[in-house]
Amino acid sequence: MTSTSPSSSSPRRRGRPLDGIRVADFSWFGAGPIAGRTLADFGAEVIRIESEARVDGLRLGQPQKPGKSGYNVCAYFNNFNADKRSFLLDMSAEGSRDVALRLIERSDIFLSNLTPRIFERWGLTYEELCEVKPDIIAAYQPMQGLWGPHRDFLGFGAVLTPTTGISHLSGDPERRPVGVGTNYPDYAINPGHTVIAILAALRHRRRTGRGQRIELAQIESVAATMGPALMDYTVNGVNQDRKGNQSSWMCPHDIYRCADDPSGRERWIAIAVRDDAEWESLCAVAEGSSFASDDRFSTLLGRRRHEDELNQSISSWTASFDAASLAIHLQSVGVPAALVQDAEDMCEHDDHLAARGFYAYLNHRETGISLYDGPIVKLHRTPGYLDSPAPLFGEDTFEVATKVLGYKAEEVAELTASGVLS
Amino acid sequence: MAPGALDGVRILDLTSEMGWYCGKLLADLGADVIKVEPVGGDPSRGRAPYWNGTPGRETSLRFWYFNANKRSVTVDLEQYDGHWLFGELIKTADIVIESWTAAERTELAEHGVDPVAYMDSQLALVWVSITGFGLDGPRAGWQVTDLIAQAASGIATLAGYPDGSPMRIAGNQAYIVAGISAAQGALLALLQAETTGEGQRVETSMQEALSICQETAHLQWDFQHTSRERMGEQHRMPGIGTYRTQDGYIYSAVGIPGFGAPWSELIRWMDDEGQAEELTEPEYAETFASFNMRDLALGSTLDDLGPVMSRAQEVLTAFYASKASLEVYEQGQARRLLIGMVASPADIGDDEHLNTRDWWLEFDQPTRLGSDDARVQMPGPPYRLSNTPTSIRRPAPQIGEHNQEVWVGEVGIPAEDLIAFAGEGAI
Repeated sequence: MTSTSPSSSSPRRRGRPLDGIRVADFSWFGAGPIAGRTLADFGAEVIRIESEARVDGLRLGQPQKPGKSGYNVCAYFNNFNADKRSFLLDMSAEGSRDVALRLIERSDIFLSNLTPRIFERWGLTYEELCEVKPDIIAAYQPMQGLWGPHRDFLGFGAVLTPTTGISHLSGDPERRPVGVGTNYPDYAINPGHTVIAILAALRHRRRTGRGQRIELAQIESVAATMGPALMDYTVNGVNQDRKGNQSSWMCPHDIYRCADDPSGRERWIAIAVRDDAEWESLCAVAEGSSFASDDRFSTLLGRRRHEDELNQSISSWTASFDAASLAIHLQSVGVPAALVQDAEDMCEHDDHLAARGFYAYLNHRETGISLYDGPIVKLHRTPGYLDSPAPLFGEDTFEVATKVLGYKAEEVAELTASGVLS
Repeated sequence: MAPGALDGVRILDLTSEMGWYCGKLLADLGADVIKVEPVGGDPSRGRAPYWNGTPGRETSLRFWYFNANKRSVTVDLEQYDGHWLFGELIKTADIVIESWTAAERTELAEHGVDPVAYMDSQLALVWVSITGFGLDGPRAGWQVTDLIAQAASGIATLAGYPDGSPMRIAGNQAYIVAGISAAQGALLALLQAETTGEGQRVETSMQEALSICQETAHLQWDFQHTSRERMGEQHRMPGIGTYRTQDGYIYSAVGIPGFGAPWSELIRWMDDEGQAEELTEPEYAETFASFNMRDLALGSTLDDLGPVMSRAQEVLTAFYASKASLEVYEQGQARRLLIGMVASPADIGDDEHLNTRDWWLEFDQPTRLGSDDARVQMPGPPYRLSNTPTSIRRPAPQIGEHNQEVWVGEVGIPAEDLIAFAGEGAI
């Protein structure tokens, strides 16, 4: 099918792999919209369906641009929706389904992370989509799948982290499991797996002319990343516990406190020693420290046997160092080490990320120049890029309705009057 | 067997543990993924956990999980003949995946194993590099492990307790997320190459791929110049956080506007079981109803919220503690409350839902220990494609298991030459 390219695309850019692909994006919050964002970065035209009746909670979240308010000033939403168009369609209004189907008929990909109950109520099951668009690639991301005893269970990253074993297996073994501080699976695992499935389905469609349904049960998608620990149970009956920052084969392998910075901010360094040669390099840098001259630590077995004592000894050595400089020094002699970076480090002081131009700074009409994540993978010939910042709430409704869906202006007015569009 | 979505795509997988997941994802989608290993085998074959706890390179559950559905050939890329053989093999490939360090990259290029040269002579080739920090930039030469990438990407600082050290997320997440990123890149480049005949270099930086998991930390810095810190166990309001149960822990996320049933349902549940105490009094309902997303995001804590909230927390804590984790999870979800149990591997292995859905894949895996194969049950795929389902076509390969099949049968090396190459250690 043919497709209009986004009006903002710049002609000097090269073609991208997904040019000409249109996505009807009925998802919201994180896992769905981030998948749509990757497709958009690589050329797809992504139309985000939104409505006043069901405003994406991230539009109302934090952080918001200081001194501003409304639907357009939250960076949490904006970051995941750059490069998209915002189309306001209230699926609870009479007649809305026809508009939705008209969009799907003109799309290649349907994307949704709603619960099965909702898209069934809206009449947007895969079978129903096929009636208007037989070769549609329909990606659903229900929490626990489209069927099974827990089909209607609710959740998002914060609930997936515990239910998939990540919380049980991460963190301090002496303390309660508290997760990992974010809704971790929402950001890379679930959207990334979804994009992989969509791209594979696109290839299959090109070769066979057939679309298909993708069912990404988020709990399966996340549990699939925990394979070895799960197999220790399913094969051996061993129920693993969390091990802090310890590794099964590297030692030392931990995060150590360094000197606070002048403003009192805690600074930490990660050090991972893979073999005796790296251990000797570490000891050469740490000449004079108590561990460097301790023969008990000269073999992996010895280091493992006395790991707590070793870690304490390394901590007292690192305590007086500047973490960033120490990491650079250790890396210069081949020892894996890194400053534990926080947001300030990432955004202000990471010369490497800056040199690679990872973060994009886009001028958004309400938030001004703002930071966006760059594309998650780098293609050298046809790179992904961000065309435009996040759309304002509903800014593309009229244009999508007329140019993509082919409604006349007076039809748009009628649909607006009846509350279908806004 | 239905053809996979990547039927007919040949991939050479030269990765170590860091890059295994990318090849696994593509193999499970139907691509013919050939592990190209050094003559002694991929050095990361022998990682724990092990079948029956028996350490060895042919007994690693980790290796089996990430390498089922792949084939294996061996070749010494640093020998002249090995390099020549690899050159013949690569002509049959659509995609190459490697996870070399900068030093390895330089060394291999000196032996003629140079991505640029291969791509020059084979225009449609897609070459995927999985790295810690990318192919360029001041830290391109840095050594990386999972821990190092988690530290450098801004995510470790958010995990753990405020009075403890930053924490690594379990499961080698840097390798997982890099694999996911690289597989997306490989497929994007494949689609492009199949359309235009032009392949290209694809690169994943673990630091970049993981950094998007900072959630809002970097965005908050951009807007407010403050850094998010790890929260640990700090409860932002009652109903949100980790709670003890009779037999473990659950995570409760009740009271977030727009997510599931509200606190009033939690009170109804406690009341139905005679454990609501005085929480049925109107002042509790009113206090909870007044909370919104903003209060949560602004990070108010339980201590700021006054005696009503503290009391609610006390009653709720006792309620959850009176039940088993699975009960809290299933009964709470039946009431549309956002609750997850803190599941251990055993809980997941025994999960009724996953078992009903036939998620696990089972196969027999040779071990080279005596004659018995291991019966293996491993996690299924992250997604189900209705027309191109995932299946186990073969167990994880032994070192060089497919040398004869690939070199002689598919690349066309005469069998007697293969014996000579083996004799000199090239394969």
